[in-house]
This record gives sequence, C-alpha cells and structure tokens, in this order.
Amino acid sequence: MPAHATAGILHGGAKVWHCRRSRIAGEERIGQNAPASRSFGDWQAFGPKRVHSESIGSAMRSDIRDIGSGKNAGAPDSAAPRRLAAIIAGDIAGYSRLMQLDEEGTHTRVKRITRELVEPTIREHHGRLVKTTGDGFIAIFDSPVEAVRCGIVIQQNMIGRNAAQAKPHWIEYRIGINLGDVIVDTEDVFGDGVNIASRLEGLANPGEVYISGGIYEQIKHKIVCGYESLGDRKVKNITDPVRVYRVLPDPGAFNRTRARRQSVLIVSMSLLLLAGAGGALWFFISRTRGQLPARTAAVETAPAVKGPTESLPAQPPPQATFPQATFPALPQPAPAAIPDAPAAAPPAPAKLAEPDMITLPGGTFAMGSNDDSTEKPIHQVTLKRFAIGKYPVSVREWNACAAARACAFTATGKDEAPITNVSWSDARQFAAWLADTTGKPYRLPTEAEWEFAARGGTRTKYWWGEQLQPGHAGCKDCTDVAMTELPDKVGSFKANPFGLYDMGGTVDQWVEDCWHKNYQGAPSDGSAWTEGACPSHVLRSGSWRNDARYVRPSNRDSYDTDVRYPTHGFRIALTP
Amino acid sequence: MINRRLLLLLAAAPIVLPRAAFAKGKPAPKDALLYFVWPQDGAVIKGAFWCRFGLRNMGVTHAGDNFQNSGHHHLLIDVNEPLNPEEPIPQDKSHLHFGAGQTEARIELPPGKHTLQLVLGDADHFPFVPPLVSKKITVRIK
Repeated sequence: MPAHATAGILHGGAKVWHCRRSRIAGEERIGQNAPASRSFGDWQAFGPKRVHSESIGSAMRSDIRDIGSGKNAGAPDSAAPRRLAAIIAGDIAGYSRLMQLDEEGTHTRVKRITRELVEPTIREHHGRLVKTTGDGFIAIFDSPVEAVRCGIVIQQNMIGRNAAQAKPHWIEYRIGINLGDVIVDTEDVFGDGVNIASRLEGLANPGEVYISGGIYEQIKHKIVCGYESLGDRKVKNITDPVRVYRVLPDPGAFNRTRARRQSVLIVSMSLLLLAGAGGALWFFISRTRGQLPARTAAVETAPAVKGPTESLPAQPPPQATFPQATFPALPQPAPAAIPDAPAAAPPAPAKLAEPDMITLPGGTFAMGSNDDSTEKPIHQVTLKRFAIGKYPVSVREWNACAAARACAFTATGKDEAPITNVSWSDARQFAAWLADTTGKPYRLPTEAEWEFAARGGTRTKYWWGEQLQPGHAGCKDCTDVAMTELPDKVGSFKANPFGLYDMGGTVDQWVEDCWHKNYQGAPSDGSAWTEGACPSHVLRSGSWRNDARYVRPSNRDSYDTDVRYPTHGFRIALTP
Repeated sequence: MINRRLLLLLAAAPIVLPRAAFAKGKPAPKDALLYFVWPQDGAVIKGAFWCRFGLRNMGVTHAGDNFQNSGHHHLLIDVNEPLNPEEPIPQDKSHLHFGAGQTEARIELPPGKHTLQLVLGDADHFPFVPPLVSKKITVRIK
C-alpha cells in the first residue's frame, strides 16, 4: 500500500480534504528507450535530402514571423487562437431555491464569495476567470493540476463559510473540470471542451469536484487525492461518452469506498464459492470418492473470507466525503516544485549577497535595426537612470531564492554558471523575492533598457563593431572553437563598454515586455510594453546554441510566458 | 584474460550506457502520426495563414509535463540541418515552439517557397525516440 494511503487511513474519520502533491522523483526515461543507434538511423533517413533547390538565404529566413497562437496578437481580424486548456465550470446548487428563500441576502453572499474566494483563488492558481453568470463561473488554466487544486480550494473554503449557516442557507458549488482544445476569446471560451466541463459540473453533487478522464490522466500522480471512477458517462449533445472521476477528499476515502465495494464483492464471492464447495463436497461424499477437488476449493476460500472481516470494523462510514467543519490548509500551491524541505526552514538568510549591479545614466538612443523585420522601425527612446545586473543571474543566486522557497525549483549545475531553464514567470518570481528580501525595487529590465545597456553607447551591428570577433560573445559560431555547451561561469567573455557581461550570447534573457512582432506603437520612454497577462514575452541576447545573428544587441525573439527552455535565463534591473 | 575483461565490460555496459547514450528522449508509440491538417503539401497561399497541427495516437500537453505518450509541437521552417536527437529541439526563429499546448499558429512568411515540418518534443523539448516528425511539406507564398 502506498505511503499516502496509509496517511489517509490514519486520518480515518477526520473529514478533511487531504489531497497533497506527490513528487515523482527522477524520470522513467532511463533505460526505457529504444537503442539510440536505430533512432539515429531513422532520423538521418528523413534528414537533409529533401532540401529544396531554392536556397533560402539566411537573411530571408530571419524574416520568418509567427504571430498568433500564443506567440503574438498580430492579426486582430483573424479567428481567436485554439489552445489546450483545463476548463473549470462551477455552479451553485439550488440557486433559485436560495434566491426564493432570501433574494437579496443570497445575491450579496454570492457576490462576496465570487470576489473574496473564487476570483482570488483562480488568480492564485494562474488561471483566468473567463466569465461569471448569476450563479456560476467558467475559468481556464494552463495546468490541469492547478485547475483541480483551485477547484478543491474553492470547495474546501465553502465548507468553512457554510459552517456558520443553517443547512437550508448553504451555498454549495458543483464543479466540473475538463481538458480540451478550445477557442479562447477575450470574453468567452468555446468548444466542446467547455460543454463537457459544464456537463460534468451538472453531474456532480453539491460540494463535489468531478473531473474528466483527460484531467485525471494528467493529475493522477501529481495530486494525491482519492479518485473514484464513475465509468464512462454519456453526456448531453456530446457523441462520445466521457470518463468521469469524482475527486475524493483524501486517499483514505478512496480506500474506504474501495474497501466497501471489495468487501461486498468478496463476501458474496466467498459465499458462492462456499456454497459451490459445499455442494461439491456433498456430491463427492455421497458418491464416496474423489474428495480432493472439494478440499482444494475449501482451502482457496478460507483466506478470502478472512480478508474483509479483518479490515471491516476499523472503517468509518464511507459517505460523508466532505468535511463539515475543520479544513486544514492545502499545501501551498504557489511555488511549483519546491523540494521537501523541513517546514521550519528559515525564510531567507539575513545577509543576502546582492547581485553585482551597474548603474547607467540613461539618455536617448536609437532602438532597433533594419536587419530583421521584428527590429523595425528604428525609433528614438529616452531612458531614465537605471541599474542593471553586471552578469546574468547565476545558479548560486537562484538557489538562494529556491532555498527561501520563493523560487520554483533548485537548480543543479555549477554555482557560477548562469541559471537556465527558467520561464518568464520564474524570472519574475526571483525578481519579486529579491525585491522583497532587500526592500529595493528589483525587477526585470524593460526591453528598451536591455538594448540600451547591450549597445554600450555604440550604434554598430555588434557592440564591438560591424564584424564578428572571437572572444566577445558566447554563441555557436562566435568563438574559434564551436561552443557545444553552456559556459561554466557568467562573465566568460569580454565586457561591453558599460562593463556589462554576456549582453549577447551565453543565455537568452527574459525582459519585462510582452512580445510584439515589431516596434509599431512601442513606447518611447523606455517603459515596458505590456498589456496584462500576455501569452508570450520577449527574449534578448541569444544563447550559446544560436548563431551570430542572435548576438546582435538589437536582436529580439519571443517565447511562451510559462514555458521553460534550457537556454533561457535572465538578468535583473533596479530603479535607483 | 581478454575474454574475461570483455565479459566484465559487457556486464557493466547496461548500467553505464542508459545514462550516457540513451538518456535523451522518450519512446513514442509505434502508430503515432504527426501531420499537417493545413496547409497541404504544395499549397499556394496568399499572405499569412493559420498552420494547423495534427497528431494521432498521442496527446498534446504543455512543455514540462512529463506524461506517457504526450508531447508538444514544434514547427520547423526552412530547416535543412538534421535534428540532433541528443539535444533539445533548438529554439530560434526557424524552430518555433508551442509549449503551451497550441495546436495551431498564425504564420507569416516572405513570398517564395518554404518548407514546413512538425516535430513533437517531450517535456524537456527533446525529440522522441525514434523522432516523431511530420512529412516535410513545401508551400509557396504569393
């Protein structure tokens, strides 16, 4: 029996939501793979032979743009992008009855719950509230885990809120969660993924969370809850049946339901067997020969009967799946994968080594270039004084944040190497933590600040001139010997005229700005060009795996906000 | 003596090798199929277009999610170099990533002929083993 199940039983009848995050240590990858040689052969077979005779020049290649679908909002007239999302549909059970009971009171309470519970919980779990109706809401999440957790948190909190009320006045949500490829609009979300979520919600009992098979597959090893399969259900207007799971408050509840079902099954089975065995025995005895088969049957049945009787008395009644009064806090959802540190870990060492910063006076400069369509038009930008990290943030600096449980993961790798495999959101978390612990307004640089700093007062193609020179930047073809891996430490190449290292090459660096496919409409005061929660953000600098075109100070690229990639890092800035 | 050493080496090989040589990429189901829903090979397109990605017998998930038989899309535009199965799929202007689980993208290309190809990446952006790629198609932008 897995460890978490035991824990659930220990809690026994304590009626609490007891789900927690499981950690899958390591990957199953090792040893599972097909021989690499075969794969390599296959790969080469499809390889470079289908090259088209039109040699598309590299300049032209760099003109390739992608817009839309999480990359850019460049085509406003075209259809809204489709994407995979976890959809939560929530709805208050017996809303009209409640309204009849106390119209004004119910309305005020529902509004308050929406404002104080539903909206903030969705936000905390990185979801987006798409719309609210009188008695319900629909929200979308990138992550099924976060979606389910959000649903559980809402249910758990509602119990506390209802505790003070008489039962007829309880406001109880039904919640359905589904994973689907949907069309996301600014004000609504469409597709049968959404319809299935609301059908699941309709199936759920008040106070419960029902999830689809798709969600279950994604979360089963991530949140240790009990899940009771309700089998395939046919839902209205959806052709294929949908597999439905009920989220149980704790693993113990799952065992209880299973034990109940199993015991019924086992008892009836053993009765049958016994009857059969008895019959056989009687038959054989009456014929006074061939008793052996009956004896075997009797032996077989014995332990089966013993099993359930042993486990039955200890089991509390299996219903009451939802807590009535107490509800301990769910494990904090915010930092994604913090290692199991002792609970009493100190928040942050009192003395924090702050990153090396260089203060720049600000001024006016020409931002952009004509080398690539994303860098057009060249435009004047005037910046105020600001400070920027001398180096990209290192593994050591990052791990201080991770140790304080404020950053999502502990990085492996050399202490002085730049931190990599961080998403924009990860980088923001680090900056927020640094600002918090130091009391100084640390933040990510704006795109304009980054380019100003990278140019180091020059206007040439690279900060050192028009021609590529070895030793100035870390990129695939910037050095004499081709770079095959990340440098061991930040600052392995020459500093630019401002004394800044790795402003071009080494690691891609996130900046504060949302991605825009060019500078049409960009601000001229050096502020970040943002519009709320944008799906992709700007990367600067290029990495050790890119070629020399990416090292140019004006080069810009984009990537999904919440996705990690092994060449992506960042540096921080500060408003002095 | 030599034989003995060889035997020892052979015995040790399975322990060492999985880490060294086979450490990258997950196996994909044999019947998995990656393809373009749109555009079709040889299509002539005016201006920007929605490129729609098709995947059969596997699931699309977010990058970073480590589940069996699922991955996320990458669109390779005018890429001629073979992909290195030992490395994550590159990220640059001709290797577009769709790690948020996108199943389509608005693509704008300069006029002329271009090749498009899809590659499915695992949680860590590695190609599957063997690589799950679509047919490389050619489109012409008017």
